[in-house]
Amino acid sequence: MTFLQFAFYFFASVLVFAAAMVVTIRNPVKSALFLVLAFFSAACVWITLQAEFLAIVLVLVYVGAVMVLFLFVVMMLDINIAELRAGFTRYLPVGGVVAVLLVVEIVFVLARTFSPQQFANPPSHAADYSNTRELGELLYTTYVYPFEIAAFILLVAIIAAIALTMRARAPRKRIDPVRQVQTRREDRLRIVKMKSASRTAHRDQQDDAS
Amino acid sequence: MLANYFPILLFIVVGLGVGAVAVSVGKVLAPHKPYDDKLAPYECGFEAFEDSRMKFDVRYYLVAILFIIFDLEIAFLFPWAIVLDEIGAFGFWAMMGFLAVLVVGFIYEWKKGALEWE
Amino acid sequence: MREYFFWLTAWLPHNLQVTMWVLTKIVAILAPLMLCVAYFTFAERKLIGYMQIRVGPNRVGPRGWLQPIADALKLMMKEIIIPSRANRFLFLTAPLLSLGPALAAWAVIPFSDGLVLADIDAGLLYILALTSMGVYGVLVAGWASNSKYAFLGAMRCAAQIVAYEIAMGFALVGVLMVAGSLNLRDIVLGQSGSMLHWYWLPLLPLLVVYFIAGVAETNRAPFDVAEGESEIVAGFHVEYSGMAFAVFFLAEYANMILIAALTVLMFFGGWLPPLEVAPFTWLPPLMWFGVKTSLVAFLFLWFRATFPRYRYDQIMRLGWKVLIPITLLWIVVLGMVKFYTPIGVWFA
Repeated sequence: MTFLQFAFYFFASVLVFAAAMVVTIRNPVKSALFLVLAFFSAACVWITLQAEFLAIVLVLVYVGAVMVLFLFVVMMLDINIAELRAGFTRYLPVGGVVAVLLVVEIVFVLARTFSPQQFANPPSHAADYSNTRELGELLYTTYVYPFEIAAFILLVAIIAAIALTMRARAPRKRIDPVRQVQTRREDRLRIVKMKSASRTAHRDQQDDAS
Repeated sequence: MLANYFPILLFIVVGLGVGAVAVSVGKVLAPHKPYDDKLAPYECGFEAFEDSRMKFDVRYYLVAILFIIFDLEIAFLFPWAIVLDEIGAFGFWAMMGFLAVLVVGFIYEWKKGALEWE
Repeated sequence: MREYFFWLTAWLPHNLQVTMWVLTKIVAILAPLMLCVAYFTFAERKLIGYMQIRVGPNRVGPRGWLQPIADALKLMMKEIIIPSRANRFLFLTAPLLSLGPALAAWAVIPFSDGLVLADIDAGLLYILALTSMGVYGVLVAGWASNSKYAFLGAMRCAAQIVAYEIAMGFALVGVLMVAGSLNLRDIVLGQSGSMLHWYWLPLLPLLVVYFIAGVAETNRAPFDVAEGESEIVAGFHVEYSGMAFAVFFLAEYANMILIAALTVLMFFGGWLPPLEVAPFTWLPPLMWFGVKTSLVAFLFLWFRATFPRYRYDQIMRLGWKVLIPITLLWIVVLGMVKFYTPIGVWFA
C-alpha cells in the first residue's frame, strides 16, 4: 500500500467517524466541532486528488465561515436536549421507512454505475499543474454565465438575511462615530482668561468671616 | 506536487503536538488543589446571579452571514486575480459585473443599518 | 545538508528517512520561532517601557534577558484551574485550536530563496484558510469556560476577527493581481529589482489596510477591546491560568510575527535587499528577511504604546465601512490600470 492509499483510507475513515459523531452526539457544540473535523478530512481527501484549490477553499469557506455561523447560533441558543429527544419515538416508524427508501435508492444508483472502469484514476498532471489556474481560466470565460448567476444568488442571500432578521428598533439616541471623531477642541473647550482675585481683597474677606 | 503537502501534514501534527505537550507539562508540574471558591466562574468578586448564557443577539448572526457572503466573494476573486493575464479584458469585465452585483448588496446592507453598532 | 543527512541515516528505510528529514526541518523552524516568540514578549515590555520613559524588566538575569525564561517557568508551575461546570475536554483543547493554525502557517513561509518547508502552489490561499481557523480557539475557549465575561468576550472577539478577515482577503487579492501567482516564493521573486519594484508602491492603500487588519485580527492594541483588562477583564481567556494561558499567549505572539512576515513577503520584497549593489548584498538574504520582519513587528509594539483603545462599535465600523470599500476600490483601480493604461505592463 503506498503512502497515498494509506492517507486516503485514514482520512476517509476519520471523515466517516466524524460524520457518525455529528448525528449521534448529544452536545450540539461538540456535534458542530465534529462537523468541522469532517470538513477537514474531506479537504485532505481532496488534496490526495490534487484538487488543492478546492480543498483549501473548502476549509476557508466551510470551516472558516459557515461553521462559525453554526457555532455562533448553537452557542447562543440554550438548546434543551431532553425536550428535543422527548418526541423522538413518535416519528420513528415514518423515519425508518424514509431511511430504508433512501438506502435502497442509493444502492440502486451506485450498483449500476459504480465500477472501476467508469471511475478510472484521475490523470496525473504535469509538475507545474496548478488547480487554481485551470479553474480560473475556465470559470471567467467559458462559464461566465453561471458565474454571474452565482453573484445574484449571493445578492439574494444578503437581502434575505437582512429582511428576515433585522427588526425595526425603537428610535433611540444613537452615536454617530463620524461626527464624534470630527469634533475639534474649539467646540468643546473654551479657555477664558480671568483676572485672579488680588491677595489683599481675599485676606479682608477671611478676616470678616472669622 | 503532492509531495509538498506531506511536510504540511507533518507540521500541523507537530504544531498540535507542541500545544498538547505544553498543556500536559503544565498539568504535570503544577499543583492541583481545587476548592469551590477557586473554581467559581469570574464575576467581579461575588456569586454569579444567573446562568451564563446570554440572550440571543441577532447582530452576531448577521455578521456571520455577511462574512460568509464576502468570504465566497474572496474565494471567487482568488483564481481570477492570478489568471488575469490569460483571460484578458473580457475576464476583467466579467468580474466587474460580479463585484457590481455584490456592491449593490453591500450598499443595501449599509443603508439598512446591518453594519451598524457592532 | 540534505545529502549529509541522508548519508547519516542510510540504515533507515527510505520513507522513514524522508519523514525524519522533514521532522528535522520542522524543528529547525519551530525552535527558533518559539525563541523569537518568547523574546518578542521581552522586547515588547522593554520597548513599551522605554517609550513610557521607564526601563522595562531588568532584574532577572543580565539586564533582564532571562525574563522570558522566568515567565515560562512561572507559567509552567501555576495551577491550571478548570472552572466548575466547564466542559473539561473543550476547555483544554481550545488553546490547541488557537496554537495549531498559528504554527502551521509557518510551513509555507519562505525565509530565503529555497528555504521553505513546503513550496506549494497555493501558499497564500493556505495561509488565509489557516488564519480563518484562528477564530475557533477563541469561540471554543469562551464557550467552554462557562463564564459570562468569557463568552461575551469570545463572541465579540470572533465577530471582530471575522470582519477584518474580509479586508485582509481583499488586500491579498490585490497582491495576487500584481504578482500573478499564489506561490509565496513567486510573489517575492516578482518584486526583484530594487526597492521601487517592491509591491508597497503600487499597492500602498492595500499595505495600510492589510497591516491594520492584521493588527485587528491578532487583537492587538488599539483593537484589543475584547481582551483589554479594563474592558472585559481579559475576555475569552479570563478563566485560563498556567500553561493553558501560556499557549494562548504563544499563539497570539506567533500570529503577530506571522503577520509581520507576510507583510514583508508581500509588500517589502521578502529576502531581497533594497538595492542589488555592493553594501546591501553583503548581508545574506535570510538576515534581510529577519531585519525587515523585525521592523514590521516593531510597529505592532509601537501601536500598542501610542494609540488609545478603540471602542467596539468603532472597530466594527472601521472594518466594515472603511477598509472593505477601500480595498474593493483599489482592486478595480488596479484592474483598470493594468488593462487600460500604459503603465499596466510595468507590474504585469
